[in-house]
Amino acid sequence: MTPAVEIQGLTKFYKSFQALDGVSFNVQPGDFFGFLGPNGAGKTTTIAAITGLANFQTGSVRVFGHDVRADYRQSRRLVGLVPQEFNFDPFLSAEQILFFEGGYFGLSRAEARSRADELLKTFDLWDKRKGNYKKLSGGMKRRLLIARALMHKPKVLILDEPTAGVDLELRHHLWDFLRRLNKDGTTIFLTTHYIEEAEKLCSRIGVIHQGRIVAMDATGDLIQRMTGDQVELYFKMPAAGLPDALKALPVFLEENGTRLRFEERHQIVSSVLRILHEEKMDVEKINVRRPTLEDAFLKLTGKKSGIAI
Amino acid sequence: MKILGTGFKALVEREIFRFISVFNQTIFPPVVSSFLYIFIFGYSLGARIETVNGLPYLQFLVPGLIMMYVIEGSYANTSSSLFISRWANNIEELLVTPLSYFEMVLAILIGGLARSLVTACGVYLVSLCFVQFEIAHPWTVLFFMIFVSLTFSAAGMIMALFAEEFEHLTLATTFVITPLVFLGGVFHSLEMVPPALRGITVFNPMFYMVNGLRYGMLGVSDVSVLQSMTVVLALFLGLFSFTVLLFKSGYKLRK
Repeated sequence: MTPAVEIQGLTKFYKSFQALDGVSFNVQPGDFFGFLGPNGAGKTTTIAAITGLANFQTGSVRVFGHDVRADYRQSRRLVGLVPQEFNFDPFLSAEQILFFEGGYFGLSRAEARSRADELLKTFDLWDKRKGNYKKLSGGMKRRLLIARALMHKPKVLILDEPTAGVDLELRHHLWDFLRRLNKDGTTIFLTTHYIEEAEKLCSRIGVIHQGRIVAMDATGDLIQRMTGDQVELYFKMPAAGLPDALKALPVFLEENGTRLRFEERHQIVSSVLRILHEEKMDVEKINVRRPTLEDAFLKLTGKKSGIAI
Repeated sequence: MKILGTGFKALVEREIFRFISVFNQTIFPPVVSSFLYIFIFGYSLGARIETVNGLPYLQFLVPGLIMMYVIEGSYANTSSSLFISRWANNIEELLVTPLSYFEMVLAILIGGLARSLVTACGVYLVSLCFVQFEIAHPWTVLFFMIFVSLTFSAAGMIMALFAEEFEHLTLATTFVITPLVFLGGVFHSLEMVPPALRGITVFNPMFYMVNGLRYGMLGVSDVSVLQSMTVVLALFLGLFSFTVLLFKSGYKLRK
């Protein structure tokens, strides 16, 4: 099957700074693909290469088999882009923005008008369709960006942080909408700062770090492969320090010696419990947390929890 | 894939809509200032000049003024349209569409052409209040109006790509376009220029444009109309090709 997006050996320099270093991956038709990475990792540059907004030095990018450079007219016809920043024509209303967008993608005037009306209603922008788009709220502008990208019914919808700065209610509406769209056959390529969002929505995840792909897997497999259960043992009495036998293991004594934390890998838990029993350190409570995509992401990118990603 | 299809027409329509939506900035000012030029230079002062190239001065002045507004209008339209698109980043909206670079450039040029034709009609209508004459060679008029406008529309796009600030666009108008247009014979014939300067004038492309239109409207010119047509066509092809090349390479457009 021809991949929806096929990237091979993509290298991109901004002067002497290398933004992408041999990036290669595929997104299959019908995937809900999450593309994650810290700020400046290369997510937006990769999207720019797919959509024709960035030149690149080496490598190739294809959309449903169409090369984005040699066959750019065909590849662009198949892609809808929801950019990170609002980039509307400052002279137009919401209705006109959608109408002209339809025209650029080859819709007749009647088709463009009817499709614009449909999307204005779907995204609850109907009452605001006539005024200049600048009068819309941030959430409305965000919805208008998505509506614009859907005017020509793209086979691949690329969303670059679509829920940034969006309130919780709208975020959930967008999630439902994207799920339905994906179910109806649209391939979705999503970047987001909300790891929870990617975990909830995406069937496959790619992680990019410093311009290189560091992970690419089904969401569940990636989490399982990268992290184990997070185990926390609470002591009855605070420990003065780690017993010598535990020092060789990847465990951490926290909260003034009242908590021992570790990631369950290779049945480490049985060794820990045995040593604690031998050291006569009584455990009062055990807390086990299932690993999340955020745990995997933090591990892959070497970030600490709480750091903005 | 269809060339100059629906997408192209949509972009032309948007470009025309853009200048019409701010007609008080794009159409009215040149029409009003042309009225002042014609009234003061042509009607009041011109009455003291007997004839130029065998024509009343007011009649001589009209084609030059029309050409001046065609040049300024087309340059201003495309340079501001493209620069604002770069500044507001909505150029990206266009760059992700399946339009070819040739279509993108041509559609924006046609927007400039449309604005300059509307302005030219406005200036001509104003001139009719003061002087009436029969158009000598209508097809020649059309040729110069279209190709000069497309040429300066292309120049405007190139400038919009090279400019870093909005002031750069007006600097080009103030220090290059306006002086060359004025020195190109809007208000005077080559005979009225000191002999030493005549040699320099022939290197001014605006000289051929003004005289080409003057030939089309009045049947008189300081230079052969074929020579004028050749200069205009060569300039148009050069600037148009360069603009398409800049779009293809993504100069100041793509990351």
